[in-house]
Amino acid sequence: MAEKDKDPTWKSDFPIDQEEATHVSRREFAKFLGLFSGALALGNGAIVLKSLAFPDKELEGEHFICEENEVPVGGMKQFEIHGTKDIPYILIHLEEGEWRAFEQKCTHLACAVRYRHDLGQIECPCHQGFFDPRTGVVIQGPPPRPLPQLEVAVKEGKVYVKSMSKDKPYNV
Amino acid sequence: MSYFRSSQNEAHPNKTNTVMTGIILMLILLVSIQIWFLYSALNNALDDNFGIALATFGGSLALALVSFWLLRYLPDPRPAKSKPRK
Repeated sequence: MAEKDKDPTWKSDFPIDQEEATHVSRREFAKFLGLFSGALALGNGAIVLKSLAFPDKELEGEHFICEENEVPVGGMKQFEIHGTKDIPYILIHLEEGEWRAFEQKCTHLACAVRYRHDLGQIECPCHQGFFDPRTGVVIQGPPPRPLPQLEVAVKEGKVYVKSMSKDKPYNV
Repeated sequence: MSYFRSSQNEAHPNKTNTVMTGIILMLILLVSIQIWFLYSALNNALDDNFGIALATFGGSLALALVSFWLLRYLPDPRPAKSKPRK
């Protein structure tokens, strides 16, 4: 009986009460907030480093997409350009001789957008975001930025895309 | 040596309480601003806006330094009572 009542040896080796071990004092909480603050600053630094070390490359050269007659007026074609990463794009035939190409990822949460000819807008079906099909700017909904755009050139019945030249935006 | 400070601390224990609450509230405020900065930096870095990323990093670092500095003023812990060993 006396053996049972006696505390085991490890209790005297580690004399910490459970209550003491699980209790978070206000001092500890404040220190944790300080640590969290440092972590947030580091995270912000990581974004700077990432944009310095891996700047986004512009699309180089012209890329053949399809024949002009493959996409009817009001139609849309999805294509990808294979490079350092595969980015999905959409090619839109707005009117006769008027073409546009945008990244297909919505700037809100990267859902795939689609062109709605009946509305005359690009729609993101996930959260009802709408973009102007000529300029890519946001008309309505949660997307924070316009859709990135490519320049489209039609030569001898073939449709090519290249990166948008800075001096010639389609913002018309 | 004067015992004024220790006597005053004993007479007004709530003072320590107020300092503690004040520091924690300040830290929460600073961390909230940093979260806002981080959100802005992420949002703008996606759009190649390097200026915002750099400016928010500067701001966030300054706020982190302020929060480390604030920790210096945390009230001392209560002296541990010497417990009788079981």
